Amino acid sequence: MAFASGGEAQAQEKGNLTPADATSTNTQSGCREPIELTVNGGRYRFHVEPNWTLRQLLRDEIGLTSPKDWCGGMGACGSCTVIMNGRPVLSCLTLAVECNGAVIETAEGIAKVKHPIIDSYIKWNAFQCGYCTPGFVTTAKALLDRNPNPTEADVRDALGGNLCRCGTYQQHPKAVVDAAQVLKGVKS
Amino acid sequence: MKRFEHINAKSVDEAAAILKAGNTSLIAGGTDILGAMRFEILPDYPEILVNLKTIPDLDYIKEEGGILKIGALTRLEDIAKSDLVKSKYTALADAAHHTASPHIREMGTIGGNICQLTRCWYFRLPDNRFDCVRKGGKKCYAMMGENRYHSIFGAVKGCVAVNPSDTAPALVALNAKIKTNKRTIETEQFWDMVKPGSTILEKDEIVTEIQVPTPPKGVISSFIKFAIRKSIDFPIVNCAAMIGKGEARICLNAVHNKPYRCINAEDMIRGKSINESNADSTGAAAIEKAKTLPGDRNKWKIQLARTMVKRAILGCA
Ligand SMILES: Cc1cc2nc3c(=O)[nH]c(=O)nc-3n(C[C@H](O)[C@H](O)[C@H](O)COP(=O)(O)OP(=O)(O)OC[C@H]3O[C@@H](n4cnc5c(N)ncnc54)[C@H](O)[C@@H]3O)c2cc1C
Ligand code: SF4
Ligand code: FES
Ligand code: FES
Repeated sequence: MAFASGGEAQAQEKGNLTPADATSTNTQSGCREPIELTVNGGRYRFHVEPNWTLRQLLRDEIGLTSPKDWCGGMGACGSCTVIMNGRPVLSCLTLAVECNGAVIETAEGIAKVKHPIIDSYIKWNAFQCGYCTPGFVTTAKALLDRNPNPTEADVRDALGGNLCRCGTYQQHPKAVVDAAQVLKGVKS
Repeated sequence: MKRFEHINAKSVDEAAAILKAGNTSLIAGGTDILGAMRFEILPDYPEILVNLKTIPDLDYIKEEGGILKIGALTRLEDIAKSDLVKSKYTALADAAHHTASPHIREMGTIGGNICQLTRCWYFRLPDNRFDCVRKGGKKCYAMMGENRYHSIFGAVKGCVAVNPSDTAPALVALNAKIKTNKRTIETEQFWDMVKPGSTILEKDEIVTEIQVPTPPKGVISSFIKFAIRKSIDFPIVNCAAMIGKGEARICLNAVHNKPYRCINAEDMIRGKSINESNADSTGAAAIEKAKTLPGDRNKWKIQLARTMVKRAILGCA
């Protein structure tokens, strides 16, 4: 664990500070105007550098590690997907400084509210490796938020930007359609 | 990413004033410019990024006086999903829907899509490794090198890169205009080989609106794209057509430095009823002037372009 300890310690310290009401966490001088944003229901205030991405902010400052970096920030894999103001977006191609006022949800938040998509992914063996799953789940949740009656084709369409090298793709549409049923109370 | 200064513009005039001075770039959805900056593909790294998203009222889709008006900051996904666009401007809705991945469509704007940089792999190599013609150097590395996705209609100023936009050919086929803070430009005049960009926009010029005349009833438009993978991939060749009532406009893209209007083909199909055989011969006419690059590696694209034109025409039947 030695390789991770520095980052973890920092994340925890920030984590303890941040979920309070708009508590400033990093106030180094020379920084930009602060931004305020809501992440998984908690309010945060940060001073961000203009070249930080949202992914950096979420991971390195808040300690949320679900947004991944699979393709190296090319916008080509979807592993860094978060829901921002209702849209599934790539946090690797979003500047943190442009997130003032944004409402953001990550896989951690989706798990925290015990969204049925999580159980459904497990039930249908639709989860993939730790690198890919959060992006898929986040994209799927964004779809369900907007479309309570998705068809399998809708799901395939919506997940078209989540790419991985492995083979549970065909399970995703079933899992998401099933989760929609649970959400509507048709199924438990 | 290296450091830069970031400014939230409050108006188009303010953004234009900042653009005028220094080494500055606009950011809309950021899906193209941030990749270019992270991988340092440009000779000049922008010192200032001007954010257009903080300018009010640049995100809309509306019809006014027989013209569809789309604000430059409108997301591609919103265009793809719009019932208005789907119903009368089919080629544009389809093109937007087939652009990149859902995530990129949720972020990427129509203004950014038509202004994006070329995807030539020499140009795009990280750390600005190839000082090619488009970057002000002397050589085009694709000309003699790996060029299987490059131009089938020759070089422009020594560069054989193609325009990768999916919405561009739809806008040309639909005879759209592009409004900026300075003028209104016919779509066909909008693109050119410019170092290192792909549009004729001046340094302080900003796209504000896309204007598409409503096609008369009975005129149908369509869009078709060939890419290796269905989702996310850039077009190898795409084509949009608008045909009916004595009208015919056909435009290929990803085949030349700018969207390529197939005038010969238009003349052949104009006023005719569409069937398999005349769609096929019209496709053949569209590629009459095509030629491969040294090495013949992009020869297959010529056949593909012919088929794309044929299918786009059949899509208007
Ligand atoms: C993985 C991936 C796959 C892709 N696949 C496709 C595809 O299949 N088809 C396709 O067409 N595109 C594709 N793209 C490109 C994508 O569609 C464009 O990046 C996007 O549309 C650009 O819009 P944006 O708002 O994000 O632009 P930005 O990245 O913000 O800007 C792009 C450029 O346009 C300039 N600009 C932006 N707005 C304006 C304006 N209003 N006036 C003047 N200049 C402006 C910027 O200064 C910048 O130079 C893909 C991109 C990625 C990362
Ligand atoms: S095709 Fe154009 S962009 Fe590509 S290497 Fe040649 S000059 Fe450069
Ligand atoms: S890391 Fe963001 S899309 Fe791959
Ligand atoms: S599930 Fe992550 S690489 Fe396949």
